[in-house]
Amino acid sequence: MQSQAAAAVEEEEWGYLRAARGTTMYELERVERLASESAVVIFSVSSCCMCHAVKRLFCSMGVSPTVVELDEDPRGKEMERALSRLLGGGSAPAVPVVFIGGKLVGAMDRVMAAHINGTLVPLLKEAGALWL
Amino acid sequence: MASNQGEGDHTGLPNNQLMATNFFDQEGAAYFGELEEALMHGVAGITSDQDKTSFCTSRPPTLDIFPSWPIRFQQVSKTEGSTDSGSVQNTISQMDSEESPGSRKASSELFGKQKEEMASDSPQTNQKLKTQEKRRLVGSTSDKDGKAVDPKTLKRLAQNREAAKKSRLRKKAYIQQLESSRIKLTQLEQDLQRARAQGMFLGGCGTDGNVSSVFDMEYSRWLDEGCKNTMELRQGLEVHLPDADLRAIVDKCLTHYDQLFQLKATAAKLDVFHIITGMWATPAERCFLWMGGFKPSELLRVIMPQLDPLTEGQLVGLYNLQQSSQQAEEALFQGLEQFQHSLANTVAGDSLIESANVGTYTGHMAVAVGKFANLEGFVRQADNLRQQSLHQMHRILTIRQAARCFLAIGEYHSRLRALSSLWASRPRENLMNESALPVTTELQIVQQPVDGHFSGF
Repeated sequence: MQSQAAAAVEEEEWGYLRAARGTTMYELERVERLASESAVVIFSVSSCCMCHAVKRLFCSMGVSPTVVELDEDPRGKEMERALSRLLGGGSAPAVPVVFIGGKLVGAMDRVMAAHINGTLVPLLKEAGALWL
Repeated sequence: MASNQGEGDHTGLPNNQLMATNFFDQEGAAYFGELEEALMHGVAGITSDQDKTSFCTSRPPTLDIFPSWPIRFQQVSKTEGSTDSGSVQNTISQMDSEESPGSRKASSELFGKQKEEMASDSPQTNQKLKTQEKRRLVGSTSDKDGKAVDPKTLKRLAQNREAAKKSRLRKKAYIQQLESSRIKLTQLEQDLQRARAQGMFLGGCGTDGNVSSVFDMEYSRWLDEGCKNTMELRQGLEVHLPDADLRAIVDKCLTHYDQLFQLKATAAKLDVFHIITGMWATPAERCFLWMGGFKPSELLRVIMPQLDPLTEGQLVGLYNLQQSSQQAEEALFQGLEQFQHSLANTVAGDSLIESANVGTYTGHMAVAVGKFANLEGFVRQADNLRQQSLHQMHRILTIRQAARCFLAIGEYHSRLRALSSLWASRPRENLMNESALPVTTELQIVQQPVDGHFSGF
C-alpha cells in the first residue's frame, strides 16, 4: 500500500534507527515475519537445553515446528534482543520463544501453562498444526 | 583519685597498705577505666591529678596481646634500668602482703611512679601492666631509701622471681600456640577454598547455608499452615459447610500452594541445589522427588480414584490433565538430560587421562559452572508445572470435589512425612544401615533424579 518512495524512506529511517540503536524494529519485524511463515515457530539457540525441552514437547504432541536457531543466524544477537523485549525485558532468557499461527504464545512457562490448562491444543488445531 | 606522692613520701608499709586497700576499694574501678583507656591510646601517663613520671612519659605504647595473668611484681634483670627503683622494695612487700590471685595489688605509692604496673581485675590492664612492670621494676635488692632487707622479704622476692619465670615461660608457650594456630587457620582457609571449588557441587552447603536454612524455616512455617488448612477442609466437609464457605477454604489452599512455589522460586535463585535435591523435604518425599518436588501426573494418578464420583466431563478433563502433564514432564526431563550431557562433556574436557594443563582445566570448569545456571530454569519450570496442575484441578472440579482433592493431597504428603519419621525411628540393626543414608543423598545430588521412584538409590 505504500508508495515506493515512502517505502524507501521508511527503510532508510529504519536503517538509521538500526545504526543508532543496534537492535531495532527491523529485527523485530524480521522476527514477526519469520513467525508468520509457519504454523508453529520456535526461536531457539542450538545449545540451549530449555529450547530442546520445548522442541521435544511439540514433537511429543505430533507437531513439527519450524525452528529458527538464532546462533546460526547472522543477525541472531539482535533478534535475541528483540525477543527479549517482546517478552517484557528483564533477566529472563530470550529463548525459547514460541509463536503459533503467527501470534506470540511466549516463553517456556507460558507454553507449559497453556498445555496444562488445555488451551494449547485448540490453538494448534486452529493454526493447522494439529489434526485430530 | 588518690593524691600523687613522690618517691619519698611513702614510709612504713602498714600505712601504705591501708592506703592501697582504701584506694582500690573506693576508686579503683574508675581509675582503671581511665588507665585502660590511656594505655590503649598509648598515652604516656594518666590524665588525672597523678603526675606524670619519667616512667610514664618514657614508655612507648605496647601492643599487648597476651592474656591476663595475675600480676606479680617481680624483679627483672637488673640491667633493665628504670628510674623508679626507689620504691621497688616497698612495692614488692606490699604486693606480697596483699597477695591474692588477680586482685588489686598496688598501693597508692605506686601511682606516683608506676601507674601502669598496677595489678587489677581488668585483663587489659593486667596485660599492659605486665610488660610495663617488667621494664620498670628494677631487679634491685637494695632499697634507695635504705630499708633493711629481711629474710622474709628475700624469700618473697625469690618466690616472685620464680613466679615471674613461670609466667614468662607460659607466655612464651602461649605465643607459640597462637602462632601455630594462626598457621593452621590459614591452611584451613586454603583447604576450604579448594574444597569449595571442587566440592561445592556435592555438598551445596558452603556459602549457601544461610539461604537453605532460611528456606527451611519458611517451609516449616508453610507446613504448619498447610496442616491447619487440611484440618479446616476435613472439618468443613464433615459438617457439610455451604459451598460459599467451602470455596473460601479451597481458595485459601490454592493460594497457600502458590506461596510455596513463590518461596521455592526465590530460594532456587540463590541455592538451586538445596531445592532440586529436595534437602528441604523428608526422606520419604525424596523417594518421589522429581525436579525438586512432586510429580504432577503421579500425584494425580494417586488421588484421582479417591475423588469419585466424577462426571464424564470431569473424568475427561482430569485424564487430559494427566496426559498433558506427562508430556510436559517428559519434555522437561529430556531438556534436563540434554543439560546433563552438555555438562558431562564440559567436565570431561579434552582429556581425562592425560594431565590437563591448568589453563584448559580452569577454562572447562568455568564453563561448567556457567552451565549450572540452567538448573534454576528447570526447577522453576517444574514448579510452574506443579502450580498449573493444581490450578487446573481446581478448575475442573466442583467446590466440594476440589475440597476433597486438596484434602487428599494434603493428607497424602502428610502421610509421607509420617513415613519418614517412622523410618527414622525404626529399630536399627547395625549402624551400617544408617551410614548408607547420607551416601544415598549424595548420589541424588550427583545424578539428577530420574523419572520414577528410588532414583537416588
